[in-house]
Amino acid sequence: MEMRERIIAILVNNKPGVLSRVTGVFGRLGYNIESLCVAETISPEVSRITSITNADSDFIEKVKKQLSRLVDVLDVIELVPGQSAQREMILIGIDLDQKNRPEVIQCVGMFDCKIISMRNDYCIIQAAGSREEMGTIINLLKPLGIDKIARTGVVALQQKDSEF
Amino acid sequence: MEKTGAEILLQALKNEGVEIIFGYPGANSLPIHDSLNESPIKHYLVRHEQAAAHAADGYARATGKVGVCMATSGPGATNLVTGIATAYMDSTPMVVLTGQVTTELLGSDAFQETDIIGITMPITKHSYLISDPDDIKTTIKQAFEIARSGRPGPVLIDLPRDVMAAKREQSEDEDSTATVPEKQHLESKKDKKQLQQIANYMNMSERPVILIGGGVKLSQACEELAELIEKGNIPFVSTMMGIGSVYASNGFNLGFIGTHGNKLANRIVHDSDFILTVGARFSDRSTSIVKEFAPLATIAQIDIDPSSISKVIKADISLVCDICEALAKLTPLVESKERSGWLGRIEKERKALGKDRAMKECGPAGAFIRDVQTAMPDETVAITDVGLNQIWTVRSWETKTPRGMITPGGLGTMGFGLPAAMGVKVGMPDYGVVVFSGDGGFFMNIQELATISYYNLPVKIVVFNNGHLGMIRQIQDLFYNARFNDIELGNKVDIVAVANGFGIQADRISVEDSGVGIEKMCASDGPFLLEVLVDPDTYVFPIIPPGRSNIDMIGGRQG
Repeated sequence: MEMRERIIAILVNNKPGVLSRVTGVFGRLGYNIESLCVAETISPEVSRITSITNADSDFIEKVKKQLSRLVDVLDVIELVPGQSAQREMILIGIDLDQKNRPEVIQCVGMFDCKIISMRNDYCIIQAAGSREEMGTIINLLKPLGIDKIARTGVVALQQKDSEF
Repeated sequence: MEKTGAEILLQALKNEGVEIIFGYPGANSLPIHDSLNESPIKHYLVRHEQAAAHAADGYARATGKVGVCMATSGPGATNLVTGIATAYMDSTPMVVLTGQVTTELLGSDAFQETDIIGITMPITKHSYLISDPDDIKTTIKQAFEIARSGRPGPVLIDLPRDVMAAKREQSEDEDSTATVPEKQHLESKKDKKQLQQIANYMNMSERPVILIGGGVKLSQACEELAELIEKGNIPFVSTMMGIGSVYASNGFNLGFIGTHGNKLANRIVHDSDFILTVGARFSDRSTSIVKEFAPLATIAQIDIDPSSISKVIKADISLVCDICEALAKLTPLVESKERSGWLGRIEKERKALGKDRAMKECGPAGAFIRDVQTAMPDETVAITDVGLNQIWTVRSWETKTPRGMITPGGLGTMGFGLPAAMGVKVGMPDYGVVVFSGDGGFFMNIQELATISYYNLPVKIVVFNNGHLGMIRQIQDLFYNARFNDIELGNKVDIVAVANGFGIQADRISVEDSGVGIEKMCASDGPFLLEVLVDPDTYVFPIIPPGRSNIDMIGGRQG
């Protein structure tokens, strides 16, 4: 079976404890969640959970069925690359000095990133794009001295014909 | 009119038809016990919370109603866990009420506080923490709906003490209108096509078998299933949970499959070319080696729980639907066929295996169980514990009604039998109730003799005493080179004296010499314990060795 990143979107009732029920299903099936993004939808009673799991195709069937058993889960759908738009945002903190500053700024320009907080010796860069693009940016900035990063995890939307 | 949270709760329970609660009070559930003074609901005080859960489970399995148990917060709630897990595995509709510390203390490691919702998340269908008295009615209604709908299961409701004590204005006959979204339906074109296709497979197949799981009873589809079997002339096997769904004396019954099942059932399933699976989930105890299970068969699966479809065995065709509805619509599509070749072959195999062999395989204990059945009223519910006693009972007791046999098949909970039997008797006071237990499981919830004695519940308790954990002994004997260890319970406890000490009549007999003991037990009006001495070398055969397939049953020690 082919292992690859699978994006699952789950619509749930926006209530306490629901997230832990959902993540519990992943854990019990033995799958790790690579990224997770949760926020309310246009209806405040409903939250959208977007998750990425490295798994084979069996996983989709299993996780869909188990999640659908949860009372607070309203819908589960796999977001297939090519039929959905996917974006992730990262904040990257970098220690600045005379040497790396020009390269960092050059990098920011190249990738349509933004410096959203700047001090003499430190800056925080905001980048948004596909998961692959985020990987490239991190790899590029790594040699320049990344202090820490925070990623939102992927959010994704299916094209119109889906119920989402 | 002003009512407390506890009063609103009890009114809501009454609206759901609750008559009985099995429970044990504590500080944080006291507002509810206080209000029980004015409620028509009867509370049975057990001696350990685990027993409350098993009793509610037994009550639910016997009556078909939702079982209700209640405990206080902390240790009371955690003691319920084994009982909740048992109910979850066997899909018993149950509502579990737990007291909880006051809302302002939640999360502060208060006295007798545990996160029972967190602890029970993987073993409940759903759970609620009620933090506002205004939510009680709606929550109870939803909880019962969830517990009994779809694939039934336990629902836990955590009730902080202050919410139960708080007062709210209530109109007398106000009815809450909460509904849970319905997820199952069989009206789509796709479903109808699937149904037609299942019928086509069955009509075309030469060696069809129906595999019956516990879901058939839960869906109350036994009559519909019997009609299908009769119309199509189709032999059937069951899982352990499916025993009794269709009357056992029916010639099409081949027994139950799996590790401890009937040889004929396992062989015929192996040879079949089509299996219609209804309400079964292919547990490892039923299938053994999955790859070698029914290698020639096309598999159709009907289940109300989508997550059971193709979970273990890949179904070639499936239908997510209430079994009762599916079977009622399937039967008219199934052709009436003679199937003389297939049925003839089965009869031949049956004869070759020896007609009364299954009887002999359970040894003197099997004969004893059949003697008990003869002596008990026709309308008797048999309950088993876990171990040799369980296999002896499910194979020797002729289960004539769908709810006539109650056994903890999924979780295999030792200690289930005695408290479950208590719940069955409370729910079915006009029925005979007999529990078969081993000495191991009996000691696990022995304290419930006190409950049975206090309420004078005429439960007949059979304790097979071989001084050992018999089934584990058998496994060590056969598959661990007879290196016996940690299985001897000994015979220093005088079980008859213990029972007498609890105020229960008792007698001790040897399994070969059963007549007088059984007579005495059945003649007694009240509860009665019969200790039955069994040779620890008496095992259960045939059995499938670990790591082997369903057709590799062995009939005794291997050379």
